[in-house]
Amino acid sequence: MSALLAVEEPIPHLARIADQLRQVTVEIRSQGGSGVGAGILWAPDLVVTNAHVARGSCVGVGLADERWIEAHLVVADRRADLALFRIPRCGVAAALGDSDTLRVGALVVALGHPLGLLRTLTAGVVHALGPARPGGRRFIHADVRLAPGNSGGPLADTAGQVVGMNTMIAGGLALAIPINDVGRFVASATASTT
Amino acid sequence: MTTVMDLSNALAGAVERVSGWMFAVHGRPRVPSTGVQWRTGLVVTANHTVEHDREVTLTGHDGRSFAASVAGRDPSLDIAVLRAVVDGVSAADVADDGDVRVGHLVMALGAGPRASAGIVSALDVGRGRHAAGDLLAVDLTLYPGFSGGPLVDVRGRVIGITTSGASRHLQCAIRATAVTRLVEADHRRRDRLDRWACDHRAGGSRGGASARSGRRGGHDDHSSRRRAAGPSGDRR
Repeated sequence: MSALLAVEEPIPHLARIADQLRQVTVEIRSQGGSGVGAGILWAPDLVVTNAHVARGSCVGVGLADERWIEAHLVVADRRADLALFRIPRCGVAAALGDSDTLRVGALVVALGHPLGLLRTLTAGVVHALGPARPGGRRFIHADVRLAPGNSGGPLADTAGQVVGMNTMIAGGLALAIPINDVGRFVASATASTT
Repeated sequence: MTTVMDLSNALAGAVERVSGWMFAVHGRPRVPSTGVQWRTGLVVTANHTVEHDREVTLTGHDGRSFAASVAGRDPSLDIAVLRAVVDGVSAADVADDGDVRVGHLVMALGAGPRASAGIVSALDVGRGRHAAGDLLAVDLTLYPGFSGGPLVDVRGRVIGITTSGASRHLQCAIRATAVTRLVEADHRRRDRLDRWACDHRAGGSRGGASARSGRRGGHDDHSSRRRAAGPSGDRR
């Protein structure tokens, strides 16, 4: 197949996607916490992450240019495991995809800080779409290697668009919250606070 | 620029294509395994996932259920052939696995559909009584329920059947050629395969196996003589 013959094409393309994602993936450090989590620059002044990553109303956010800024909690939803923080404007925001059009088998990449290794890219395919247990919430299940430190970071498609937020590891699989669900959370959070 | 997206779309398209030929195989408690309709009416799965003395049902990708019976087993290759009348489900597009090379991108699929991707890591994985060429080693994760599912190339053609039961140390797939040999043997030796099934219902003794191998000795090829030792279950 032509896609496989042109082996030199995909590699710079993936490298470009990785560079884009590094710009919008932040480090999250909670006060008193020793570990590092990840977050997504949703808008130039908003960071979204997992609620289990960012404890407290004020967290430190590390940007790709190695600046550290203070982020203040807008709203956290422990049940949905999502938290939204406001930061001073920093100029970049993630390109968002549509998680409803994701297909099983599609190539995806995850960016995060697995075991503290900053802005590390791992790749794989969409394993399945649906709840992790009957009646549970919908997740993107991805055959992508994650480790503690990936939580809150982006799962992106081959266009570099963020389609999910890596949230947990179950049975060796990455479980990511579909980005459309994150979008609804952010929309309701910003609507209720303005 | 779009090449990697084309590849991603090709992989997703392959999953959709192959999922039409796949079934969830309910032949053991808890986690169902996966099966592929290899020829019309013949569904291939992993032998270790179909228990003896158990009614086997298949669930198609559209949710329909079908009753199935064991037509034959090859424990040494960990393949079971099930017979079932499955309306409206076409047989798999089986590729010539002779084109497979180390490093090729492949996917293992499970009923659902669920997908796992990786590469072919070795050809000709010889393991004692297996002929070199019956197994492929793959570098990918076989998740629970994937056993008996198809190993597919980026075009969505089946190049093998994955099983975690074939080897303890390697992620393996039975090559399509070896599976086809078994399935076609089912057509030719349908009654003999039925006897295999009967032997298993009766407990499949070592003596029975040697009796069969003696019966086969005159006209069978090397590979089926190898397999004749299989039903005694002394592999694991």
